[in-house]
Amino acid sequence: MSTGEPPVVRLGHDLVRNFESLPREKAAEELATHIKKFWEPRMRHELLARIRRGDTDLHPLLVRAAEDLVDGDIDREEVREPSGG
Amino acid sequence: MTTSEKSGPIAPAETDYGTPRVAAADTARVTVDGREVEVPAGTSVLRAAAEAGIEIPKLCATDSLTAFGSCRLCLVEVEGAKGTPASCTTPCSDGMVVSTRTEQVQDLRRNVMELYLSDHPTDCDGCARGSCEMQKWARETGVAQVRYGLDGANHLHERTDESNPYFDYDPAACIVCSRCVRACSETQGTFALTVEGRGFDSRVSAGGTDFLHSECVSCGACVQACPTDALTERSVVQLGMPTRSVVTTCAYCGVGCSFKAEVQGSGADTRVVRMTPWKDGGANEGHSCVKGRFAYGYAGHEDRRLEPMVRASTDEEWRVVSWEEAIATVAEGFRRIQAEHGVGAVGGISSSRCTNEEVYVVQKMVRAAFGNNNVDTCARVCHSPTGYGLNHAFGTSAGTQDFRSVEQADVILLIGANPTDAHPVFGSRMKKRLRAGARIIVADPRRTDLVRSPHVEATHHLPVRPGTNVAFVNAMAHVIVSEGLLDEEFVRTRTEGADGYLEFIARPEHSPEATEDETGIPAGELRAAARLYAAGPNSAIYYGLGVTEHSQGSTMVMGMANLAMLTGNLGREGVGVNPLRGQNNVQGSCDMGSFPHELPGYRHVSRPEVRQVFESRWGVSIQPEPGLRIPNMFDAAIGGTFRGLYVQGEDIAQSDPNTQHVEAALRSMEMVVVQDLFLNETARFAHVFLPGTSFLEKDGTFTNAERRINRVRPVMPSRVGKDEWQVVCEVATAMGYPMSYASPAEIMDEIAATTPTFAGVSFARLDAEGSMQWPVTEAAPHGTPTMHVGKFVRGLGQLTPTVYVPTTERATRRFPLVLTTGRILSQYNVGAQTRRTPNSTWHPEDVLEIHPSDAELRGIRTGDVVELSSRVGATRLTALVSERMPAGVVYTTFHHPVTGANVVTTENSDWATNCPEYKVTAVQVTVATQASRARAGEAPEASATPVPAGAMARQRR
Ligand code: SF4
Ligand code: SF4
Ligand code: FES
Repeated sequence: MSTGEPPVVRLGHDLVRNFESLPREKAAEELATHIKKFWEPRMRHELLARIRRGDTDLHPLLVRAAEDLVDGDIDREEVREPSGG
Repeated sequence: MTTSEKSGPIAPAETDYGTPRVAAADTARVTVDGREVEVPAGTSVLRAAAEAGIEIPKLCATDSLTAFGSCRLCLVEVEGAKGTPASCTTPCSDGMVVSTRTEQVQDLRRNVMELYLSDHPTDCDGCARGSCEMQKWARETGVAQVRYGLDGANHLHERTDESNPYFDYDPAACIVCSRCVRACSETQGTFALTVEGRGFDSRVSAGGTDFLHSECVSCGACVQACPTDALTERSVVQLGMPTRSVVTTCAYCGVGCSFKAEVQGSGADTRVVRMTPWKDGGANEGHSCVKGRFAYGYAGHEDRRLEPMVRASTDEEWRVVSWEEAIATVAEGFRRIQAEHGVGAVGGISSSRCTNEEVYVVQKMVRAAFGNNNVDTCARVCHSPTGYGLNHAFGTSAGTQDFRSVEQADVILLIGANPTDAHPVFGSRMKKRLRAGARIIVADPRRTDLVRSPHVEATHHLPVRPGTNVAFVNAMAHVIVSEGLLDEEFVRTRTEGADGYLEFIARPEHSPEATEDETGIPAGELRAAARLYAAGPNSAIYYGLGVTEHSQGSTMVMGMANLAMLTGNLGREGVGVNPLRGQNNVQGSCDMGSFPHELPGYRHVSRPEVRQVFESRWGVSIQPEPGLRIPNMFDAAIGGTFRGLYVQGEDIAQSDPNTQHVEAALRSMEMVVVQDLFLNETARFAHVFLPGTSFLEKDGTFTNAERRINRVRPVMPSRVGKDEWQVVCEVATAMGYPMSYASPAEIMDEIAATTPTFAGVSFARLDAEGSMQWPVTEAAPHGTPTMHVGKFVRGLGQLTPTVYVPTTERATRRFPLVLTTGRILSQYNVGAQTRRTPNSTWHPEDVLEIHPSDAELRGIRTGDVVELSSRVGATRLTALVSERMPAGVVYTTFHHPVTGANVVTTENSDWATNCPEYKVTAVQVTVATQASRARAGEAPEASATPVPAGAMARQRR
């Protein structure tokens, strides 16, 4: 269904749906890692800006994961292997 | 030696050994006309002689077909044996002594030839086929005149069948050797031809009708097999025989067939007479499909634009300019945008239709000259989940086997793929294996040809509902685990994550009974299929876009990897997880660093040691952050932060989902550059058009779905005055980053020097080896046909719990049906090439297939024009009521722009890679009120013509 969500929110929520069955901390970590690995900085910034603005439509898991994004640095271990797709 | 005389300097001569190669460890030593030769046991005397350099006359035998023994021309004498056996059906035994030209056999042969010639045109000079074997053997046997005379009963007055647009069948020249009949059944697996009648009356027939209206799929195998002029390419009839040939690679699908381009003339006057599949081609071994063999005419189509063009705005007319002006316009435009809106405001898209070398320079231009990582490739919309999922599980973003591996498979699990249409040459290979006894499980909403067709009957057809693949694959794994069918040793020694995964998959919610309602697959059928897959012993998974183009595409790829790991079906021949990749070079374009987060060889841009390799070579610093993917580029364009795009050989306006959104994005850009053969849909939004080159003009390499790097050799010089890689280099140079290469070979040398999996690749090595499958390294200097032998690339295979998350695109009251898409044999993707060839004879328009009950409910009959609507748009198509469809699901192809499939597809995408969810769109279908059938006579259209509603079919591979 058309959610009418802004792209970063829609893409973020796609990730939430795929990780939310994991334990919360693990899910947040996976989500943040995925975003660091694959999202261009301006998309990350937009997500963070929405969180700072207190955007109420954001899933709590996405908000929680975004805390890990603040420093923006990628965990090198995570990208040690080829990354595909 | 059917072709050696015609071969030019580039294509070496091909020998016809008469019967197929035998694979046997034991050998036999035989003496033929005094020459000793050692051959694998079971080899025919005919072939052994050929290997010894002695050609025995033959008509009904050729080395692509099992010997038949009907013409009696190949008779020989064998010491100590009675009579004169046919050498094609006589196997060699150790110590055998054979004479091929004794007086007795020569006499017998002469009689045979006379009989044949009494019913064969003798006007050899007027015969189109310069390679008629009749003529050659008549000479060799010394039959100058026909004793029986031509005025006896003969077939010389029968009419030629010219129904097929590419070849003629002249019954008068037919000698009923049945090579064509056998080629159609053995090589192609279509069984369109039979020999009708008996004795003198026997005739080759296309099922009692003409070729066009028969089951024939126009692969051309029969034409190639025919030893006379009976089946001949129309182009040979019209142009005469070719004078030289060049071995190159097909530019259509991911099978990557090798061809001999047979031509006349030279330089700019080169004219292709025909394409003949190359016997030594690693991917196709002498076979091809209708696209590769016949549909090359688009390269010379009048719609091709050969000059650079610019315009200040998209409302203006195009203005032809010099290359210098066009390149300067591009460079200035991009630099100005970057000055005003930042370094990241421009980007590029590379093409899976271009060579590795052309793609490599595009990503280099983006990274070194643009100074960002905003590069992506059309794999985004097809197999990006393959890259992600297989890499996650095994450590490489590619299939695990070579095509030949299927010959060792006992059970084939085919998921969301239709190889007989989309990967025809591999489809033929698969069918051959099925006829030899392998079994197949087909998971597909549609009843495709591999579910049931002549000599093919799937053991199980699992009609998985679009969007529920992960629930299906989990149920398969659940049966394997809960019934104790797994390969415990493999799981223990070769994988990690087993505990968590096994606990997850054993949960009752994954059982076939629990998922039956969701997937639409009867539990009993699924259990039986899972048991069959687990029993193997060699079980191989093959899959296509029916897996990847889903919101859980990547998860599904991991799910299939789990299945293979659970059952130990990896690391040897006959098994594996095999993506059937769509476009000729989609594998290569991914390998070459076309993704915005990866440098060549799938290495993340954040890794300093990888950047260092390129930085020191390129003399620039590379951004350590990922760039924008194609859909992100569109979003950023609409948001105003992305304003310039270089598009190499792709038609994103036609191929990408949600047309309105894509068009809005393109419209908001200040500089769109299109490098292509034609003014495609995207060019409607472009400011600069740079003419591209066809595969016949390219020098480089393509990498097919089995990681095979094939050479693409120029058959003629560039028709636009420059090579595509050169143009890219000149744009980069004009932007202030000097980039130049002396030749594409030099680009490959740079790839080899920077990318470990290509370390041993060079044009010289490829020319020497024919082709190589990466990784080509010191440890595997000839390449790697089978991956993950003994050890996965990532060490241990990763078992991952694959949680099923239903797509948000669900059928509703307003949109109660699910639309899924696919393609057919004669057309290719958006059809830009094939629609510009007579291939449209078979597929003049796209149709909407709908189940009889869904049709009845809506009052729809076959032939009605219907309106297809989704929540994002609507388009019109002609309906075809079909039992192949399950109720609730409708299906269309997307080869014609007027279809507008992407007018209805949505922005949903794979969670991991943003590959669009093309395979699931909730739709409604109604009878259209104003039937407009004008397009029935649609000519190969100029794609620049704006068509209603944006008019997009879409492109997949
Ligand atoms: S062209 Fe191919 S499918 Fe058609 S009759 Fe010949 S071999 Fe069979
Ligand atoms: S389209 Fe594919 S199967 Fe057909 S000839 Fe080309 S590479 Fe081969
Ligand atoms: S070639 Fe052996 S019988 Fe025809």
